Amino acid sequence: MVANTDNGASPDIQCRSLTKAFPGNVEVLRPLDLEIAGGETTALVGPSGCGKSTLLRLIAGLETPSAGEVLIGGVSPAEMLRDAGLAVAFQDPSLLPWRSVRGNIELALKLARRPADPRAVEDLIRLVGLEGFADTRPGALSGGMRQRAAIARSMVTRPRLLLLDEPFGAVDELTRRQLADDLPPLWEKRQTTTLLVTHSIGEAVLLSDRVLVLTPRPAEIIADIRIELERPRAPAVTGSTEFRRLVEAVSEALAEGVRATKPPLAAQ
Amino acid sequence: MIALADPLPERVRRGASGIVGTIVILLAWELAARALAGAYILAAPSDVVVHILQNSDLIWRALRETLGNATLGYVLGNLAAIGLAGAALAWPRAEPVVAGLALLVFCLPLVATGPILRVLYGPGPGPQITLAALAVYYTTFVPLLVGLRAAPASWFELLRSYGRGRLAELVHIRARASLPYLFAGLQIAAPAAFLGAMVGEFTGAERGLGLLAIRAIRALDIAGIWALASISAAVSILIYTAVGWLSRAVLRDPPPMILAPPALPRTGHAQGLAATVMRTAFVLAMALLLWWGAMTTFDLNPFFAKRPDDVWVALFTATDARETRETLAGALGETVVFLLPGFAGGLALGAGLAILLTLAPALTPSATLIAVALRSVPILTTAPLIVLLLGRGAAGTITLVAVMVFFPTFVACLHGLRQAPGQILDVFSTYAAGPFARLWHVQVPVMLPAFFAAARMSVPASVLAVTVVEWLATGRGIGSLMALSASLSDYDMLWSSVVIVSVLSALGYAGIGWVERRVLTVFASEQVAR
Repeated sequence: MVANTDNGASPDIQCRSLTKAFPGNVEVLRPLDLEIAGGETTALVGPSGCGKSTLLRLIAGLETPSAGEVLIGGVSPAEMLRDAGLAVAFQDPSLLPWRSVRGNIELALKLARRPADPRAVEDLIRLVGLEGFADTRPGALSGGMRQRAAIARSMVTRPRLLLLDEPFGAVDELTRRQLADDLPPLWEKRQTTTLLVTHSIGEAVLLSDRVLVLTPRPAEIIADIRIELERPRAPAVTGSTEFRRLVEAVSEALAEGVRATKPPLAAQ
Repeated sequence: MIALADPLPERVRRGASGIVGTIVILLAWELAARALAGAYILAAPSDVVVHILQNSDLIWRALRETLGNATLGYVLGNLAAIGLAGAALAWPRAEPVVAGLALLVFCLPLVATGPILRVLYGPGPGPQITLAALAVYYTTFVPLLVGLRAAPASWFELLRSYGRGRLAELVHIRARASLPYLFAGLQIAAPAAFLGAMVGEFTGAERGLGLLAIRAIRALDIAGIWALASISAAVSILIYTAVGWLSRAVLRDPPPMILAPPALPRTGHAQGLAATVMRTAFVLAMALLLWWGAMTTFDLNPFFAKRPDDVWVALFTATDARETRETLAGALGETVVFLLPGFAGGLALGAGLAILLTLAPALTPSATLIAVALRSVPILTTAPLIVLLLGRGAAGTITLVAVMVFFPTFVACLHGLRQAPGQILDVFSTYAAGPFARLWHVQVPVMLPAFFAAARMSVPASVLAVTVVEWLATGRGIGSLMALSASLSDYDMLWSSVVIVSVLSALGYAGIGWVERRVLTVFASEQVAR
């Protein structure tokens, strides 16, 4: 793949020998090489604590690598941050408690130094199913509703790179399905490069073009599975043989990764 | 059944119980005064009202004077607090020094600072305003510093993910997140400013409630003493309530409790100790430099404006240095004998009563109401009363110190006990655990941060209490020595006692902080890791 040096739409992501260790010699990432094509949706799947979130934060420029580098569309994450080209939806929704749902979403535009765009804000509020709650403060919302507000906020600046860290963790099953229907077409239309960290294998397969399976810490990519399911993916796709085969493949890789790194129970 | 049959909203019931409580207290007061008539102890509420009406002009003028000075000191002190917190935030490496100097200044014994300021300023309201400012800035500075950081890391990361820096953090997060803490500080500061202004007036003002109080004490004007104490208490409760109301109107939420213990360097133990010693030495050096610089810059008369080297000479190299040290040590000894039992007793009673009330929750609402009302009273303005009631001996002094420590500790502990997470208590309920098990395993550990915060802040407060009583009433100890030195113009002794008392107070504060860290590391590690 050729580096996408065009700073416009769909930046690709390149990680070269990316390494991260935390104080106390906790090795989170071994030298990791990774290329993600621009405009694709990629899911990172791995056991708890394997370093998925750290990888996401390194790509977002919120952590500095111990060694190696990250390039987004040919530039460093720091440069990407400077012109507000990316957005992150954190695991913890991180809404400011003194701003309403609308106020929190509008804040992202303000922070990114973009002009106010009331229509885009309203559209996103509707998209994540929070109509009627635009003027509510986060304290009065359920965990799932807060996460939906955070997802809306992450999309309002039309980021070229969207990083989602377990964005649907607290969202109820019905809304999850709705979001799985509504969000990917929007990402596709905007040609957003999307990186999604998730625990749910089904969600990874349903939303992504590609699923990367990580081993327990220090994370290594044990499987790289392309998802060739047709888009838009109708809800019925989850019942298809192909979908089930892909889910099976991802689970198998996940289990394999855990087996390979963990001594047998008797030896513990 | 009772819960179902209760149609009155909480606020109405609280208000009603407050009114009923007040009437009961007034009646008991009146009856006690009638019973003790002729003992020169208690003035009945009716006598107090008559006294106020007869002297309304005088009292009104004095009240306006004191309120004016307190307000100015309040504004200046809080602005200083905001400035200091801003400096510590903008330049984090300077924070230990800023905080250390702020603590040292807060520990200055007002009883001695008052006369010194009086000679420095000359006549006029200068000392009252300065003392009011000195009494408030620290209790605003500490919570504000906590509040400016009281936001989860992820909020700051959100801003960083949009490429924004420290200024945006300040505008969008810190300024707003710190508001509840700022208001908590402003609320505590309101009665403290009033108290500071009154102590300033004790030290030789021409007008004000403090002056009237001194006169009433000297004339043994019982009705006058009670009238002035009642007015001070009422005014303080009013201001305290008004700031609380304002903060609720602005914030919608009640101000939080400030719990964070003093910050500790993130180094190993040995390094930490060395760093602490270095930092302390640096703070002391800075303090000496500022002191010397101020005296020299304003070219103050060395007869009363002593420099650090004068104090050194007075304490160590002068021909009478030995006597000076012995006098100081003797006076300190007399003070400590009253201070320590009062301090420990106040802490124990405050925490103990809060725990008892948790076991008997039916009593809690009315007890809290009374305690919150009384917390806003500058206890010290009632010092003459306690001396009247308990005499000029040990009992009166110890009681006053204990009362000064009791109220903040009680309120903080009650609040702390209520922070016990409901889910954890539910887990205990599912095992049918009794109230003592809940108390021991959940509520008391959760209360500890609030308890220690109250204990730390009570150190300078108790020093203030003991010195004021010694000076106004008992004629013993360091407070009396300071007052005597002031009236004899023995400025060497006065400045020496200021230095010694400030350093000892700051050490006491730091000592409690040290114990606090060790205890909280075990019981509330999330409060320590900052």
